Amino acid sequence: MTTILLAEYVTVKFGGLTALDNVHFFVEDGEFLSLIGPNGAGKTTLLNAITGVVAPVRASLKLGGDDISNLPTHKRIRMGLALTHQIVRPFTSMTVLENVAFAAGFKKVKRILSSLVTFNRMQEKNKATKFLEVVGIEKYKDQKVSKLPLGVLKRLEVARALAVEPKILLLDEPLAGLNSQEAGKLADTIKGISKLGMTIVMIEHNLSEVLRISDRLHVLDNGRDLAEGEPKSVMKMPQVRAAYLGG
Amino acid sequence: MLYIELFIQGLIQGSTYAIIAVGLTLVYGLLRVLHVAHAGLFTLGAYLGVILTNQTGSLTAGIFLAAIGSGVMGMAIYRLVYEPILNRPPHVALIASIGLYIGMEELFRLVFGPFGLSFVSAPLQSVVVFFDIHLRACQIITMITNIILLGILAWISQRTRIGIGWRATVDDPEISACFGIDPVRVRYLVFFMGSALAAVAGVLVALLSNLVEPTMGAVPSYKSLAIIVLGGLGNVTGTLIASLALGIIEAFGTIYVGNLLDRDAIAFAFLIVVLMIKPTGLFASR
Amino acid sequence: MGLYEISLATVVGINIILAVSLNLITGYCGQISLGHAAFFGIGAYTAALLAKIGWPIYLTLGAGFLLAGIVGAVIGLTSLRVREDFLAIVTMGVAFLFVGIVRQQEFLGGEMGISGIPSPGMEKPAYLCLVLIFVLLAILFSWYVKRSWMGYAFDAVADDEQTAKTLGLDVKSYKITAFAMGTAMAGLAGGLYAYYTRFIIPDVFGFIQSITILSMVAVGGIGSIFGVVLATIFLSLMPEIFRFINDYKLLLYGILLFSVMRFAPDGLAGFYKMLYKKRNLR
Repeated sequence: MTTILLAEYVTVKFGGLTALDNVHFFVEDGEFLSLIGPNGAGKTTLLNAITGVVAPVRASLKLGGDDISNLPTHKRIRMGLALTHQIVRPFTSMTVLENVAFAAGFKKVKRILSSLVTFNRMQEKNKATKFLEVVGIEKYKDQKVSKLPLGVLKRLEVARALAVEPKILLLDEPLAGLNSQEAGKLADTIKGISKLGMTIVMIEHNLSEVLRISDRLHVLDNGRDLAEGEPKSVMKMPQVRAAYLGG
Repeated sequence: MLYIELFIQGLIQGSTYAIIAVGLTLVYGLLRVLHVAHAGLFTLGAYLGVILTNQTGSLTAGIFLAAIGSGVMGMAIYRLVYEPILNRPPHVALIASIGLYIGMEELFRLVFGPFGLSFVSAPLQSVVVFFDIHLRACQIITMITNIILLGILAWISQRTRIGIGWRATVDDPEISACFGIDPVRVRYLVFFMGSALAAVAGVLVALLSNLVEPTMGAVPSYKSLAIIVLGGLGNVTGTLIASLALGIIEAFGTIYVGNLLDRDAIAFAFLIVVLMIKPTGLFASR
Repeated sequence: MGLYEISLATVVGINIILAVSLNLITGYCGQISLGHAAFFGIGAYTAALLAKIGWPIYLTLGAGFLLAGIVGAVIGLTSLRVREDFLAIVTMGVAFLFVGIVRQQEFLGGEMGISGIPSPGMEKPAYLCLVLIFVLLAILFSWYVKRSWMGYAFDAVADDEQTAKTLGLDVKSYKITAFAMGTAMAGLAGGLYAYYTRFIIPDVFGFIQSITILSMVAVGGIGSIFGVVLATIFLSLMPEIFRFINDYKLLLYGILLFSVMRFAPDGLAGFYKMLYKKRNLR
């Protein structure tokens, strides 16, 4: 296996507060990695630092060998990252299909002037329909997003992220807020996507689902690396147990 | 001596800006609303102050009642205007606020006439000479009042429970709610205090020029918007420093670049230059 | 049509171009500009000065269009870098700066403005036709933008900038583009206005004018071309039809802006949609 994403020395400060302190993090091509840790451990901040939503004090980020540390967010996405949000953020003026089709058209909006003379949305809509099928919400495709249940919107986040054709899919608590049955189903869907060859990094608090579907764990606590490795052995480590039991 | 006089003029003007802008920045910090109608409360305060001073014969009573009147009006604006549209995109509240301000300005014009009002016998106009510096008593009173008010404000925000609650609510409304701070009460308080301060500033400005006009709020209100951006939107200390800096820059600017730019445009030239150099404003909060 | 109606129609046409151009910025892309009249003014002053030194109308209009767009792009660059609320305040500043600077410059006519602007070289009805052609072009252009992928991107930016970024969209450039396009169109409207009145003073391009343009967009329903055009016609004709309200014109604008935002933030367009939906439900 080759390392596809390498994040080193990641340090993020908010005001006087150190949110991440010298974190080292890597992702292997094709694996399913779960990023876990107690609340406030800095998991979302780490994903935000990787995508450039948050500006780190220090960080060295390499995606497939290219240095992305100094690129703005949209360029990092174009190089192969995709992110879903913990609190769903659909475009509210669009339908489900339009949300995904917009993401699928990322090549058409790359150059501003050519976006003004490009009209056809058919190809993107077809692509979008396929992604909606992958996450199982194609029957909602023509509905406005405002009245849809959370379960559908969580899946919409995943479909929209897939539509930018990433090398790595970064999922921020995709299961949060769902009941255990829904969560289990969505976890299966995500595992399915992983089996199609997608590299996945997932932040998740639902440990039973995490242990069921992950290949490897990376544990953060208080903004620092705590542990990393194969799920079962990581969960046996005393420092991990201490962190989770509030030690 | 000219320099010192200009400097003092600048400080008086600047501290008045500060008293007005502090309310705006507090509201922005809490609600993310650019509260343009704040200037209407400033004008309302000035009118109330002049009318009530003329009625009662006491400037103190006039200022006090004006502050209460504008403060209550400020709370009403929060309740009746902003609260119902907080979940809408930000332009909705901004445009509503602009409409409200224009409506208020026109109402003042229609009710009190386009030429404004004056004090029957303007108090505190005697000239005091101090080391060759000529100041009117009202200028000294303005400066002293402003310093006291800012001091009280600092004390409230640093030392009292409600003030700490306000700062916590700005930082994180959900967490502060967990600690038993009612965010809605904090909002009412902010609107009351901010509007009362603006009203005091209004009366003092009326005193300095012995005139209240329907449009007197326009220029200070736009300038105070520029000030809160310079101060880093929502940052109170930054707002105070930016206000004083602007007052002084204007005082000197009118003398030295007055033939290039009129006084009221200096603030915005300053704002745009600062944003070009430091896009987050002088004092970014984060 | 008498001369009065022709001149009224010309003003309405210019206002429509202004409102449609602001709608590109505020309606499509979600960015508030409180200084649109300044770009209107840049276009008017550019066209007026160049016309006076003998440039032909198509060149002066083009120059006003370009200069307003360039200044717009520069302002957009400085204010769109950081926070969304900056643009509103900076553009408001631009409104004051424009009037403040123009008033003090002798070559721009100072307080007295510029008079004796040459005629456009055509009769009033023909000039009205020219204005209406530009109105049509402006409307067609915004309709065209809405349908393109650029319009799709504007929708995304107006909905949620942060999410648009995490889907690989260069949000900043799109915002600047919207701003430059809208301000350039306002510059064109300014040129048309200069030839129409043949006399311009700085105060016409002040903050109140900016707010008037914003009212047209807001009352019409932010983002809706149809609603904006309708609201512009209504708001431009209102003081003419109801002469007696002239003294209350601003009060009415204020109340209208306030009430629309407070009670029906989607404007005329939203109102129409609501009626349409209700009928469908029955």
